[in-house]
Amino acid sequence: MSVDPASKHASAAPASSEPDKWRVGSALVARRRFMDRLATVLSLCATSVALVALVSILLTLLVRGAAGLSLVTFTHSTASPGLNGGLANAIVGSLIQTAIAIAIGAPLGMLCGIFLANYGRGWVASTTRFVSDMLLSAPSILIGLFIYQIVVAPTGQFSGLAGGLALAILALPIVVRTTEDMLALVPTALVEAGIALGARKWRVIVFICLRAARTGVITGILLAVARVTGETAPLLFTSLGNQEWSVNPAHPMASLPVTIYQYAGSAYEDWVQLAWTGALLVTLGVLAINIIVRVGFDRKGA
Amino acid sequence: MSVLAGDLRESMTSSAMIAVKNLDFYYGQHKALHGITMDFPKRKVTGMIGPSGCGKSTLLRVLNRMYDLYPGQRATGEVMFDGRNIVAPGMDLNRLRARVGMVFQKPTPFPMSIYDNIAFGVKLHEKLSRAEMDARVEDVLHRVALWSEVKDRLKSSATALSGGQQQRLCIARTIATRPEVVLLDEPTSALDPVSTARIEELLDELKKEFTIAIVTHNMQQAARCADQVAFFYLGELVEIDSTDRMFTAPREKRTQDYITGRFG
Repeated sequence: MSVDPASKHASAAPASSEPDKWRVGSALVARRRFMDRLATVLSLCATSVALVALVSILLTLLVRGAAGLSLVTFTHSTASPGLNGGLANAIVGSLIQTAIAIAIGAPLGMLCGIFLANYGRGWVASTTRFVSDMLLSAPSILIGLFIYQIVVAPTGQFSGLAGGLALAILALPIVVRTTEDMLALVPTALVEAGIALGARKWRVIVFICLRAARTGVITGILLAVARVTGETAPLLFTSLGNQEWSVNPAHPMASLPVTIYQYAGSAYEDWVQLAWTGALLVTLGVLAINIIVRVGFDRKGA
Repeated sequence: MSVLAGDLRESMTSSAMIAVKNLDFYYGQHKALHGITMDFPKRKVTGMIGPSGCGKSTLLRVLNRMYDLYPGQRATGEVMFDGRNIVAPGMDLNRLRARVGMVFQKPTPFPMSIYDNIAFGVKLHEKLSRAEMDARVEDVLHRVALWSEVKDRLKSSATALSGGQQQRLCIARTIATRPEVVLLDEPTSALDPVSTARIEELLDELKKEFTIAIVTHNMQQAARCADQVAFFYLGELVEIDSTDRMFTAPREKRTQDYITGRFG
């Protein structure tokens, strides 16, 4: 008989013929303990595999990207191999196209989310919701092709604006979904309280519901920013990329992801280095946005 | 019906602020109110009691047409307020709701400052100068006995107030639009006893100026606050009388069973 604390404790009690209620079948206990440990070990293994992959990507990126990071990266545009080029045009191009995307996608997405959350009951709403959810998981290259067909082909011009439009379509469903979800969390009583004061519905939605849901909605917009800044595929057919400095949205425009795509596979060492540096910048940007969302909004949103 | 009760009802009818007559209410196909006829006397507190689902809150939500928010809900009959049948089509609902205010079960402070919570409703209906608005805010906060507690933090968020303070702010917000009727839907059921007592004291003050209808599950509250009490059961108005008579000599057996705690 194995001696465990429970049985010692029980033996201190007056002797009797009744079964010891502290003891359960020890084989059963041993098996459960074993299964418990096994499950813990397996999940730890799985976690470490994922972590090792992630950390090695980040470390490689950090080491190789930082090697090429200098003031020139931000002050010079991309140049021919050997001419000490930077990424200034790509960084600014990415910023401009993301700004266009959010300027179009965020208000449209918010309005759509408001419609779905407050007025959406009939078939129009369920169709909108369905299409929006499909768009959320649509291959982004298709969206690039779509904009190519309706903007680039008719105008005969690749442009930053077309790139921004493609990214806007990507950002749209993210904003729609988060806005609707966040507005759905606003208590009905708050809406009724606004209505009960004699306010019209739009005023209640804009000044009370959106305000109550603002941290969530802003979080959704920031997540959309993080999503679109890393996109390459939709830009290949729309803004194309540009070796020169250009801030004119009517002309082809460089961007970090497209530059990475073009340079990473090139035969020139300094171009490959620029691709690494660009990748580091995009990653740091997205990381920063995610940290802002977590630190800045989670607490206040609670 | 005794002569006394008859006299009382007569005197109350003569000064009815809201007169409900043969009111039916439907949630889709389900009929929730059956031919309600009752008056809400001017500057009196009308308590509405009854078990859950008896229709008392439904009736309250007819009085400011809150049910209009939800498709499929409709009322038929007559609810006369200031010469108009408010359940008839063509009502200016925003104007009606400015005149018939409502306070809810759970405090519903808007996610903005204490000051803006009160200004929000006022701005909908009146154009006030900055100074006039300041005066209005101070006035209503005094009347709900909140001024001394919040006067130094009018610009801070209303959601940081305690539950009882939030509810008093909601009452202040409601009376700030200068309504004639104030509807209260179980206003203290989410509050502690001390906060509840303060709200009840407040009702005594408010009825000098407003006609009040209060839905409550708390029999003592109805006895303490109301001038007349209406007992609802299964969508019907079983009995309505002065508070004294309702709690000492109800005419209906169902009323007596309910107020003595035998069911509900």
